[in-house]
Order: sequence, then C-alpha cells, then structure tokens
Amino acid sequence: MEFLHHTFSDVYARQNNWLTRVDVRVKLFYAISLLSINLWAKNMFIPLLFLSASFILLFSIKIPPMAILRSMLLPVLFAMLILLVKGLHEGEKVWLSFPILGYKVVLKEEGLHSGLHIGSKVLGGISLVITFSFTTTISRLCAALKWFHVPNTIIELLAFMYRYIFLLLDEVSTMWTAQKSRLGHASWKKTIQSLGTLGGLLVMRAFDRAERTYEAMHVRGYEGGGILTVNLSPWRKGEYASFIGMVLILPMLVYTGNIHAW
Amino acid sequence: MPKAILLVIPVFFMSFFAVENVAYAMHITEGILPPTWVFIWFAVSLPFVGIGTYHVKQKKRKIPGYLPLVGMLGAAVFVFSCFPIPVIALNGMATSHPCGTGMSAVLLGPFVSVLVAAIALLIQALFLAHGGLTTLGGNIFSMGILGSFSGYFAFKVAQRCRLPLFWSGFLAGMVSDLFTYLGTSIELGLLVIEKGGSFFKATAEIFGVFMMTSQGILCVVEGIVVGFVLVFVYKRRPNILLNLGIIKNDTKPLQQ
Repeated sequence: MEFLHHTFSDVYARQNNWLTRVDVRVKLFYAISLLSINLWAKNMFIPLLFLSASFILLFSIKIPPMAILRSMLLPVLFAMLILLVKGLHEGEKVWLSFPILGYKVVLKEEGLHSGLHIGSKVLGGISLVITFSFTTTISRLCAALKWFHVPNTIIELLAFMYRYIFLLLDEVSTMWTAQKSRLGHASWKKTIQSLGTLGGLLVMRAFDRAERTYEAMHVRGYEGGGILTVNLSPWRKGEYASFIGMVLILPMLVYTGNIHAW
Repeated sequence: MPKAILLVIPVFFMSFFAVENVAYAMHITEGILPPTWVFIWFAVSLPFVGIGTYHVKQKKRKIPGYLPLVGMLGAAVFVFSCFPIPVIALNGMATSHPCGTGMSAVLLGPFVSVLVAAIALLIQALFLAHGGLTTLGGNIFSMGILGSFSGYFAFKVAQRCRLPLFWSGFLAGMVSDLFTYLGTSIELGLLVIEKGGSFFKATAEIFGVFMMTSQGILCVVEGIVVGFVLVFVYKRRPNILLNLGIIKNDTKPLQQ
C-alpha cells in the first residue's frame, strides 16, 4: 500500500519551479481548453502535439521519466484494449488475419485507424492532465475552484478527503504490515478476514477522528458554515499575458485539430 | 468464444502485472469517450452530485459535525478502495482493488455516496491518472450512481428480508461492484452504435471479459470484506452504526 504515496503526483507540485509558480487559474484555463480541443480533434497530430509539449514541459522542471511513465502506463493499456476491440469489430477491409488456437483473428484497417486515433487522444489527454497535476497542489486547486464558483461544500469535502487520505493510509499501512508479520495473511481465507478487520478499524478510526476534528473546529468557532479562507490574489501582468496568449493560440489549434488527416 | 475476448484477455492480464500488480479496470480513461457521450454522461451525473451536495449542505447546518464526518468517512472509503485484494483465480499472483461505493452507500446514504465517489474520482483522475477529467461524468455514472444506488438498495432489501448483517453487507458490496462493471460495459458498448455495431453484443462481451478475469471474483470478495467490516464494527462499536442510521436502537439484537 505504501506505493500510493509515491504515485500521488502532487509530491512534485510542492517543488518550486517556473510551472508551479504559474497562476493556477491560468493552468486550469489551459488544461480545460486544451482537453476540449483534444476531445474534438479529428486527426492524430493535435493529441501527439499535446503529448510532446507536455513531455517537454515536464522534463524542463526535472520530473523523473519513471514517474511520468508510471502515470501513463494504465491509460496506455486501456488504449491498447480499445485498439484491439476496434480493430476486431469495425470496418471491412482486412489488414491482418491469423489463427490463434483454432480461431481466425481478423484485424480490420478502418477499426485500427479509429483505434489509433482514440489511442492518440488518450495519450494527449492524459499528458495534459498529468502536466496540470504535477505542477498544482490541492490547496491551489481548491482556491481556483472557489474562484470559479464551484459550491463550497464540494471544495470543503475535497480538501477534507485529500487531507485525511494520507493520514489514514499511513495508519492502514502500519496495521497491514502488523497483520502480515503476524500470519494474518497466511492463507487466502485469513487474508480476506484480515482485510475485513482492517476495513472495520478504518471506519472506527475515521469516525473517532471526525469527532475529534469537529471538536477542534468547534473551539475555533466553527458552527457549520464555510471553512475556506484561502483567496487568490488578483491577476497581474504575467497572468493577463498568459491568458491572452492562450486566446490567440486557441483558434489555430482548433483549426489544425479539424483537418481530416492522420 | 468471441474473437474480441480472445485478444482482450491478454491485455487484461498485462494490466494486472503492470502498475505494481494492481488492476484499476473500472475507470474509463481520458480521451476514450467522444464529445457527445462526454456531455451526456455529465448531464446524467450532475443532478445526482447536485442533490448529494444539497444533502450535505442542509445536514451540516443542522449537525455541524456532519462535514468532518463525511470527509473522514470519504477518505476512509478511498483508502478502503486501495486495499490490494488477492485474486484467487490467478492463484494470488495478482491483486485487484474494491470499488468501495457499496460500503460508502451503506455508511452515508446513496446521494452523499455519489458526491464522495465524484470527489474520489476527481482525486484519482488528477493525482493518480486513473480515469480522466472528460470521462469524469461517465465514471461518476458507473461507479458513483450505479454503484451507490444498487449497493444501497441491495442492503435495504436484505435488511427488509431480515438477513444477518454480514449477508446484508455482502450483498451491498457484491451488487454495487457488479453494477459498476455493468455501467462501464454499457458506456463502452454504446460507443459501437455510431458505427453500426450491436450495442448488446459489445456490452455483453466487455462485461463478460470483466467477469472472466479477476473482476468477477472481486465482486464476491468485496462483498465478503464489506460483510466482515460491518460485523466487526457492530461487535466493537455498535454506536457507530446506530449514529449512521444503519441499525435501529429499538430492534432486537442483530444476527451477525
């Protein structure tokens, strides 16, 4: 379970570099606009452009290649699955056919074409998301969501959950190791029973911690109202320049994305 | 055996052995859904998230400690969903992870569970690259809405039938998992309609692949684990279940 700590990408977002210093609202504008263009792209050029640009940006702030690859592995596998399903189901023109265990497998050209297009979108989209998450902390994200008028209840819950996930993960990891070292995972049946105990303890600890947290909040004056206090500063010249830059680039990207080509 | 299954199985097996032996198969990845379906799934999911938000907002005004409770139980369910469960079909060689929505629906109610699932999916999409932002609506539909409501109703029906607490929890966990995978299969199956493919055939094939690999067994295992969790909490701290409204004070002692 410890691996999750290293997999959470905001470990890198706490570093001080030129991308983490960019205003979170600008990054959010970029991420959402570029994801939309990626979604509508009719060719593979735009998603692959986003993929390469994201890699360049992430390498420029010295994100380890293994961290990037680890984040992209699962989406790539999902893209491969879609490529296979599309290749087998869509189109008529046979690209490749071969027998496996007595079954004739036929991959069709149109399906593979469409699968590759979706695969490129997966890579382009996920690279944009990880570029955002590798450079933005949850507190900055919450502040930006508040600025975008997302309901306070959602942001408060997001902040709460994120804050306590790591704490509970640490507690569960310790209990998990204790169970393992005391033959709690000696057989499959015992493992499942141990997991049940672990889950039960998790619920009990969460409940107790919620009571303690509320008491701590109550003595500080909390009575069920809003708890978000972080506000973002007004935009400066740099933010306006980035925003105008994006507005100028967008039509070009939309036009390029609409060209029917590979 | 359909051809798709023949080639899809190896990909799933590959996914088990990659990423630290953990399979996260129920999230639809960024970029998979076309724009029309992105909007449709967001339109379907947003009202449920809205109602969940309204529930929490109203309740935290009456009970100020409700927000920390939902946040903490949400975090607990997130951590629960990271439990690596050994998949017996593969002789324990691979692990999979539970959805957790069945348990959160039992603990928090279906609408709040949808909200918690939506936030958990956002965190996973952003910081773990599981799922995606454009596919968030679709993932909320399968995991949040279908998972929570099916689990909650299964639990309520089991309680109505006076089944022991373990079996009520088992049904909640198992049914919510089954519906989550069914939801994902439906979403992926719908993609073939535009190209003239058969929706039912594609959905059945994808659901079949999910069930034939580790996820079919995972549904049963998650049910057992949720059952154990509820019984464990009931034995040690029944007041927690009482406060959350899972058991009633005036009932005779529950069968475990």
